[in-house]
Amino acid sequence: MVSISLQNACLDYPLYGAYDFSLKRRLIGHLIREPGEMRVIRAIDNVSLEAVSGARIGLAGPNGSGKSTLLRLIAGVFPASSGKVAISGNIVPLLGLNAGANLDFVAADNISLLLRISGRKPTQKIIDEIWAFTELEGRMQRMPLRMFSSGMLMRVLFATATAFPADILLLDEWLSVVDENFSAKAEQRLLKLVETAAIVIIASHDQPLLRRTCNTIINLDRGRIASTTTLDAAGHSMELQEKRA
Amino acid sequence: MISANEAAARPSVLHIFKVYYPDLFGGTLSVIRDICAGLKDQFNAAILVCSNAGGQKQIVVDDVKVERVHSFGDVLSLPAAPTYPWRLWRRIAEHDLLALHAPFPLADLVFAFGLGRNRPLVVHWHADIVTHAGLRRFIEPLMRRTLKRAAAIIVSDPVLVEQTPLLREFADKCHAVPFGIDVAKYDWPALKLERVNERGRLVLACGRLVPYKGFDVLVRAAVRRNFEVWIVGEGREHERLEALIAELGVQDRVRLLGSVPEVERVKLMRIADVFVMPSVTNAETFGLVQLEAMAAGRPIVNTALDTGVPHVARDGIEAITVPPGDAQRLGDAIESLINDPARRARMGQAARQRAVTTYSTTAFKEGVETVYRKVVAEQATAARVASVPAPASRPLETGLVSAIQIAAALAWSDMRHRYVRSLLGPFWMSLQMAIMVAVLGSVIGHFSNTSAGSRLPMLALSLTAWTFLNGVVLDATTALQNSASLIKDRALPPVVFLLQCSFRQALFALHNACVPLVLWLVLAPADPRTVIEALPGFALFMLCTLALSLVLGALATRFRDIKPIIESTLTLAFLSSPIIWTPEMIDRGSTVMRFNPLTHLFAIWRDPLATGHIPMASLGYVLACMAALAVASVVTLRHLRKAAFWI
Repeated sequence: MVSISLQNACLDYPLYGAYDFSLKRRLIGHLIREPGEMRVIRAIDNVSLEAVSGARIGLAGPNGSGKSTLLRLIAGVFPASSGKVAISGNIVPLLGLNAGANLDFVAADNISLLLRISGRKPTQKIIDEIWAFTELEGRMQRMPLRMFSSGMLMRVLFATATAFPADILLLDEWLSVVDENFSAKAEQRLLKLVETAAIVIIASHDQPLLRRTCNTIINLDRGRIASTTTLDAAGHSMELQEKRA
Repeated sequence: MISANEAAARPSVLHIFKVYYPDLFGGTLSVIRDICAGLKDQFNAAILVCSNAGGQKQIVVDDVKVERVHSFGDVLSLPAAPTYPWRLWRRIAEHDLLALHAPFPLADLVFAFGLGRNRPLVVHWHADIVTHAGLRRFIEPLMRRTLKRAAAIIVSDPVLVEQTPLLREFADKCHAVPFGIDVAKYDWPALKLERVNERGRLVLACGRLVPYKGFDVLVRAAVRRNFEVWIVGEGREHERLEALIAELGVQDRVRLLGSVPEVERVKLMRIADVFVMPSVTNAETFGLVQLEAMAAGRPIVNTALDTGVPHVARDGIEAITVPPGDAQRLGDAIESLINDPARRARMGQAARQRAVTTYSTTAFKEGVETVYRKVVAEQATAARVASVPAPASRPLETGLVSAIQIAAALAWSDMRHRYVRSLLGPFWMSLQMAIMVAVLGSVIGHFSNTSAGSRLPMLALSLTAWTFLNGVVLDATTALQNSASLIKDRALPPVVFLLQCSFRQALFALHNACVPLVLWLVLAPADPRTVIEALPGFALFMLCTLALSLVLGALATRFRDIKPIIESTLTLAFLSSPIIWTPEMIDRGSTVMRFNPLTHLFAIWRDPLATGHIPMASLGYVLACMAALAVASVVTLRHLRKAAFWI
């Protein structure tokens, strides 16, 4: 059973570097009883969230409202400071495409390393399938990534990241591929990935996109849930839903 | 793959048994074949067996891929195929479900060691090991472990669960799925068979000629009777039975037909008057062959075993059941049937009726399919629960195993790419090490009066070990920051990258180790015994390095001034520890030397190599340090959850 359950989850982000925490300061601070500085920021504040199979959750909100941090909290990057986080299912966080790519390695090695990182065993067949999706020439598989243009690089990384289905898919912004011809194909693949996943959470500023792909939109404001909107299947009757509620 | 996902992929099943067609024919094999054929639309089947026939390793039998592992023949009815467990282990990962056809201790060995734990296992319990009672004592613990690990056990008859002590322990996992028989195959029109068997006294028995089948009892039962006995099958008892037949003087009425093609066997079943299954031990669990005879409408004579045998054909209805091993009673039973054609016909009809209704192929197929599906589904759920990345709910061990795997993969990739864009290619580092050893060796040579030759190997080895320790600790201080994107964007546990440092430097050290190795071989051949004595110390050295990298790596990421401190300390440690110089060169009583943990960390493996005995004082010192480091490591591992905040 794939599920996500957050109960009153809070995350205090320690602000290392924003204050002086050296031994010297600590000693003197105690002696002269200097008022304490702000040492943590509450990035996620009392968020409760339940999601089961079929949930398509969009996270909206201004910059710094805690969208990415909430995704990372769910992915297990950050431990919650208080509250409960229980997740069952295999999570694939696609929070950034560049993670783990090494420009000095040839493309095929990068692909197999990235697959290994996500717990898959890379075989030549899988690599070839991924390569076929990129529509790049076969011999480029043996070229180091630094020789690739940024568009080509994105193709390779996108194809690798989206090669396998996930139970829980976490997306920080819709993965965009610049290349126009490729972008339609990429969009299709991403949609299919979203379709096959049991739970999808997308953080985005793009309201129309969220309304297209999600059935619940959570608006975050300074780490708190400001409002939750449930959309029906068609996705465009948000106002109606709000009136009813 | 997302793209391959469209054609709903069928789960694949690996059938594990000791032998398969065309090397042998028999009941168990036909069951495996029926499962493969019956479920071919739902499951992709593959078979892994042993074979001493040589020939091709991969063959296709009835559209099923069969991989045959070479065996050197049979020992105690088991194939001697030393590579089978290895091959099985390699194959496990490729399949979604494992179907072990027991008994097969060679496969139990694999499962007993806990290999292939991530794949669901269904045990088809065909028989207990009865023939080699001595062997059984050793194998029972293995079988118990296999059954414990199995998700489901399929038996042919519920009575087996009651009668087999080993199965009783796992009764809740057992599913009784009776074998099925395709009766249509036996619907031969009553052709003019009378010509072959006009006397109405033909007794048929089928099976491999092995002791538990009890064919010797049948031969004895034929003495001083008027019926004819034809025995179909081949096996190691052939000569003994032949001799027995000659000895009892029944050659004219008892014949061993050897192997017979299946079509012919069906015909024989049709023309026989009575079918006999004289099996003598509980190794006969079901007697598929008697079911075949029932499908052919034959009356049965079977034995009162504690297995499914007397349940398949019941005494007085489809069969006459006699005590196993009793030649007199067996002969009487056969004779009474031979002399009573009406009863024969009645029993034959009842037998056919039972085969059609109780033992249909569809029921068998569906029974097996239900179990397979349930097990695959359970595993899929369990796998999801087990792979929860939330640190709070994930069991530490599975997290650690996957962390180690990823760290190893990353380290291996580092190793492979170490020579990217290098001028000298592989071993340029080793070359550097060789030069360093040569230069330092000649310089140090002037300090001491021992011969350079005897000192060089130790110098090279010490330098390699130091390079390892130095590299691991230095790498660890920056590892987490360098992998920030993987930690924050791909949610990999931070400990992966600290482990990666140790693994990577260990691989580099193996490269460098060729310098001391060559020097040792050329200059001073080492005594293998001293090497073995040095190994525990060396293992401790590695462990300390690993723990040090965890603790210092985390500290240096959390507190940024730790890294320069570590760097300068390492330089200082290199100079103040006996790495390039030996303790003999200076006063052993130096306080710095005595309290420097590195002195002891090197002494615990260097001293056994040089002098042949382990310095106990140093060992105690190192163990104490190790204990402190272990505690620190545990604390570090707990705090590493917060590492994403630090980077």
